[in-house]
Amino acid sequence: MNKEISHKNSIGIDESLISKLKNRISRLISQIKKEFRLLKSDKINLFIALALPPMIIWLFASMSTSATKVLPVKIVVISNDANSYFLQDNETIITTWDNYTDMYLDAVEDSKYLELVEFYDGSKDKYAMETAREDMEQGKIECIIVIPVEFSEFLSTGLPGMIECIPDTSNIMYIQDKLNAVENSIEIFVEDNNLDPQMVLMEYDEYSVPSGYNYRFNYSMITLFPFMVFGITTVLTILVVVQEKPIPRLLLTPVKRYEILISKFITYTIILALQIFLILTSAMFNGLYVAGSVVDLYIALFMLGFIGISLGIFISTVSKTKTEANQLFFAAFIVIILLSGMFVPIESMPEYLQAIAFILPLSHGEPMIKGILSKGKSVIGFDFFSLLAVSVVLIFLSFLAIKRKKYEV
Amino acid sequence: MSSNNLSEIMVDVENLNVYFGDNQVIYDVSFQVKAGEIIGMFGISGAGKTTIVRVLTCQINKKHWIGNVKVTNLSPARKKNHAKILSNIGYVPQLEELNLYYELSAMANIETFASTYGIGKKKARKIATDLFSILDIPEDTWKKPLKKMSGGEKKRVSVAIGLIHQPSILFLDEPTTGVDAAKRYDVLSYLKKLNQQLGTTMFLITHDMEAALICDKSAILRDGKMLEFDRNDNLISTLPSDGLLARLTIEDLNEKKINIIKEFAPVQKVIRVGNEVVEVFMEDFQNNLKKLIQYTMDKDLKVTSMSKDDAAFRRYFQIRIQDEEEKERALRESSEFLTSEV
Repeated sequence: MNKEISHKNSIGIDESLISKLKNRISRLISQIKKEFRLLKSDKINLFIALALPPMIIWLFASMSTSATKVLPVKIVVISNDANSYFLQDNETIITTWDNYTDMYLDAVEDSKYLELVEFYDGSKDKYAMETAREDMEQGKIECIIVIPVEFSEFLSTGLPGMIECIPDTSNIMYIQDKLNAVENSIEIFVEDNNLDPQMVLMEYDEYSVPSGYNYRFNYSMITLFPFMVFGITTVLTILVVVQEKPIPRLLLTPVKRYEILISKFITYTIILALQIFLILTSAMFNGLYVAGSVVDLYIALFMLGFIGISLGIFISTVSKTKTEANQLFFAAFIVIILLSGMFVPIESMPEYLQAIAFILPLSHGEPMIKGILSKGKSVIGFDFFSLLAVSVVLIFLSFLAIKRKKYEV
Repeated sequence: MSSNNLSEIMVDVENLNVYFGDNQVIYDVSFQVKAGEIIGMFGISGAGKTTIVRVLTCQINKKHWIGNVKVTNLSPARKKNHAKILSNIGYVPQLEELNLYYELSAMANIETFASTYGIGKKKARKIATDLFSILDIPEDTWKKPLKKMSGGEKKRVSVAIGLIHQPSILFLDEPTTGVDAAKRYDVLSYLKKLNQQLGTTMFLITHDMEAALICDKSAILRDGKMLEFDRNDNLISTLPSDGLLARLTIEDLNEKKINIIKEFAPVQKVIRVGNEVVEVFMEDFQNNLKKLIQYTMDKDLKVTSMSKDDAAFRRYFQIRIQDEEEKERALRESSEFLTSEV
């Protein structure tokens, strides 16, 4: 019988314990080194991990051209402006107000982003709006601009002016283009007639990218960030356990199962940290507008990537073959995307589906990223802690799975 | 490198029985392996060779087996001993892909496995250089990815990995399987060389009878039972006339002609070893050989050639397994007869 004699050092710690700990750390470091060596030798995985994400950002930035290149927007202007007269006691009173409708039409003509297809005087043609709507339905025009009744009166007397805009919303990708084009005409109108700050454009959208930023790129990043970071980290890790054939042989050395798994988590977390840095750098370089803190955005993306790693390693640990891992990933990814709220709002789903969506990563990822990018929210919140909780559960399940996994050489 | 006391018992197995559920796969196996020995464990597929090694290498949970087992004086029954046992043993799996990271170089593989035993990079490289030199692994391939190496080179790197931490015992699972026939002897001679130079105890699981050439002792397993465990010459000496045999080439050899030879009284065993070749074992070989020749002529068997030889381990194995099968068949027939009588 071998008996271990314990020796305590000067501060009373068992030296054999220190030695064991040192050995464990040394083994862990060696496993991490091995993971990096394997990753280094796998050029495709390295490409997916570090080169692909910034490339996707660059691709999106390049293809998300600003609206100026796809315009002009065809419009109809309906003016209800009683600019030069009004009725009082059945008498027409001629006013001395300036005709701001004509001035606005001049601005439209000056704008290279708008093409005036038709002008209707709403005060004379009561079917003007109906006709304009028919034109929009037939695709002849893309936007209806309505000038209100007291437009000239208000502007002449120093009151605020307002123009209503009804864009064709059948194609969600172009709504902002139309609004921006109208905004441009108003900018010209304001400048030509010295109306600033009297004339304002009413903003109907909750979030708008400041002028000077590529809005289409910025809008797409809200969806792309969580989707890309989560997807790529999951893809990177779904095979790390199942395809490593020498694991059973490694278990015939003093290496423990949990050490193998920890080394994989550490390696891919380091890669993730670098990956997020590259993603953010390329996104900022391409004009990413962040209403909140960039550090918060980094943490949020890191969290999303980490849950991707946790899911990937979990799938890899429970799968028996590479094919099984790929199929499991595909099935999980479809469910995650469908229930993420990208297609159907989560709140409108049946309660049991909402419960499933609650534990899925992208359901929390998009609101979290949107909050930071567009509203300046902090990363710390319900979504962050939900993701953290799901990660912890997945990590726990992965360790449980590898502990029970049958390995034989 | 390991310096073992030759009288030291490295593996001690006493009454090992292994069960998986209701299915017993190993029956009362007992044997001892001394330091520096090369042991060959032979048997056809399903004989239980791998199961025994899995018990010795801490791969089978104690709930599945009973018996007294000690490896380097430590019992695999205690989980606490596993790390120590695993540090004392090396393992070379049958398939290289289970032992090697093909994407990495031979040296990187060595470093990876060495570090699991707490061996630093510098020391690992030094040991590897010695091992690669014994195993004739060309230096210009050490830093190339393993996938570019030949099958034989991979096998030798795999053996080097098994020995990187200078273990007391090296377990090798089918070390010659998958290796070209011409290279099989190379692999075996490398193993013998390592055993002689490093003094490492080796435990081979194989169904390649040629491996017996380098083994000090051989174990023969069948259906989970150990039929024999002894030195090869001792085993062969139990054959009639100490394993002396007559090899006859007979034209148009068939079962009828074999039965004619069997009818010759001194003949104890006739083994067909080729299309027209039989090996004949008989008592008092020297005196009866001439009589056998005369007998074949009398019976009009056309013997085209005849030679005298010593039986190899391969033949012993074949005879021993056949005897066992015959015994079992006889037992089964008598039991069926008794059942029908009742």
